[in-house]
Amino acid sequence: MTEREVFLNHLAEASGRPRHQLVDHPFIPINSLPQTTLSDLSADELLNLAQTRSEALQVEFHLTSQKKLPQVLNVWLKAQQAQNILLPTDPRLSEYGLDQWLAHLTPTPRFWQPNAGRATNLDAASHADAAISVGDYLLAESGTLTVATTRGQGRAFHFLPTHYLSIIPRSHVVPRSYQAMKAYRHALQNGTLQTSNINFISGPSNSGDIEMVLIVGVHGPLTVSYVVIDDA
Amino acid sequence: MPIKTSDQSFTTRLKESEADKFMQRAVAKAQDAQWDKRTSSREDLGNWPQWRELGEQIRQHVIRYLPDYLERFSNNVEARGGHVFFASTDEEASSYIQQIAVDLDAHHIVKSKSMVTTEIDLDKKLLELPDRTLLESDLAEFILQEDDFDEPTHIVFPTLHKNRDQIQTIFQKIGYTGSNDPQEMARFARKYLRASFLEADMGITGCNFAVAENGLINLVTNEGNADLVMAIPKTQVVVMGMERLVPTMQEAAVLDTMLARSAVGQRMTSYATFCGPAMPDEIDGPENFYVVILDNGRSNALGGQFEQVLQCIRCGACLNVCPVYRHIGGHGYGSIYPGPIGAVLSPVLRGYELFGDLPFASSLCGACSETCPVKIPLHELLIKHRAVMNDRLKLDHSFNNTVMHGIGMATGTPPMFRMALDVDHAMSGAMVKHDAPTVENFSNHNGYFIHAPGMAKGWTDSRDLPRPPKHKENFRSWFKHHQEASHD
Repeated sequence: MTEREVFLNHLAEASGRPRHQLVDHPFIPINSLPQTTLSDLSADELLNLAQTRSEALQVEFHLTSQKKLPQVLNVWLKAQQAQNILLPTDPRLSEYGLDQWLAHLTPTPRFWQPNAGRATNLDAASHADAAISVGDYLLAESGTLTVATTRGQGRAFHFLPTHYLSIIPRSHVVPRSYQAMKAYRHALQNGTLQTSNINFISGPSNSGDIEMVLIVGVHGPLTVSYVVIDDA
Repeated sequence: MPIKTSDQSFTTRLKESEADKFMQRAVAKAQDAQWDKRTSSREDLGNWPQWRELGEQIRQHVIRYLPDYLERFSNNVEARGGHVFFASTDEEASSYIQQIAVDLDAHHIVKSKSMVTTEIDLDKKLLELPDRTLLESDLAEFILQEDDFDEPTHIVFPTLHKNRDQIQTIFQKIGYTGSNDPQEMARFARKYLRASFLEADMGITGCNFAVAENGLINLVTNEGNADLVMAIPKTQVVVMGMERLVPTMQEAAVLDTMLARSAVGQRMTSYATFCGPAMPDEIDGPENFYVVILDNGRSNALGGQFEQVLQCIRCGACLNVCPVYRHIGGHGYGSIYPGPIGAVLSPVLRGYELFGDLPFASSLCGACSETCPVKIPLHELLIKHRAVMNDRLKLDHSFNNTVMHGIGMATGTPPMFRMALDVDHAMSGAMVKHDAPTVENFSNHNGYFIHAPGMAKGWTDSRDLPRPPKHKENFRSWFKHHQEASHD
């Protein structure tokens, strides 16, 4: 008998309940609060809530058109006095009409490169003073950005840079975690998403470990900005 | 450090805690601040009682089918290329992780905050190996480590007992030259730890929830250190209590939001992450991924009257409302799991010989049960512990039983009860004190006991007991008099 079987049999014996009952007793939630909470909000109300809740987290929140997106990004980069810029290798940058902007961006950015090694990409991320990511969803309830790790946008991309901005289409502003989780689970199950990691990011890193004084910016980025593209 | 953090007696720990006025002020301030934040964030969510019912249901369902969920989870971790080790004891778990460090020749280890790694005393075990560095990367745990592994005082705010001057002194030992400003000290820690992250070849994390349906680990933090631990080192070891399962990511999301609101009064923590071993075409994340699932006494609770303690999601809300914790802090409990949850859990994990005092470190006010997001009836479990101890340790309770039987008979027999009320004032005359009324005893003007006999002694050890009023002044006489007056 394997060590796992010994362990699990011991638990079954200790509890007085036989194993392998779950198939006949799946989890059925007692209520539907996760999906119904905030689900009655209109698109405009959701956006307003997302902005209010994000700004409460000290997130800089921008709503812009695709046409004005390059201008918003330039202003942000200038405000950060960015010398080392990190960008993802992701087709969504083109979908958001940023090809021309990328071609003329100075200083020349570094990209998270799917074909480069671990050390190269971690070096780029750790030296970046400004990173611009493409986000998946924005949760209105908590001002939370969600991103799944891809070949072109790794895990450390979101944590090592000093300042961080993420672009999210307005159509991906959802009430709360339930809707984002439903989409991720569906994509993972049908294979359209293959990832080992999903991040839910709610503003800049912080800590209250010294006399309960709120410190913003501990290990992750010191500042966080969201740019919502009005694609409605 | 293992679960037990002190060899001193409970009484000695209490005296030391009582003398630590900074700790008491810090705990009181934290409790009051967290009360407001927690209440506000729960109201903001709405339908909190129904969310609690859902949280309780998720946790109870998982505990009921725990072996099945563990089997499903471990299958899915292995399908992702990870390894799962089932450890019955702390020694098995720490030895296994030590062997991983040896086999993979890992020399630079970074950790994120994890109570269960503290429970198995993992840091010291790994530092027994030659040529190894290990750094706790959570700011509070880093402070404790640099203070010679001082013990935590709270499961969410481990350094609550330290002030900024003490932390400045601790940091000065590792080269800090700045002021005692928290922001400046945090920036120093960020820079100091960043270098360690980048050279780390092994990362160790805990686990808030393990997702059975896909083998992912769910971790919530505010600092972002855990995400760096999961991103940079090529090896990641996850250590989890065996009960930390959820069916799917949806249930994890439910518990994450309840955890954040209950622990720190936030809608979500800054970071909530679902992670597993890196996929072959991903650039970072762990290539070697190990999950250590720990029993270490938890199975003592399965199927018995303490099973509900396994529902705990380690939010610490019960500590933040406890009047006893407010006075004695974490160190008073002598367990890495302090407060009401620690008073229930510690005896389950390690027995009454080590932790038999803790079920009595409670006023049984029930605030802990009321605030628990997953509805653990903590104060009821404390009472059960007391009953079990009486029976198992064969404490002599015959005298108490006789007294309680007598009281039951007297209060249940009207003539006897009335007779007692007639004589209680006169009979107690020899045992009471008659000081002049002051601010402290203004309600005791008929006299008061300072050393009551029998079962009442526990009460008078810490506070006064008013003398029963004279027969003509007691409530029944007063009520009868007023009833007659109103009829007139």
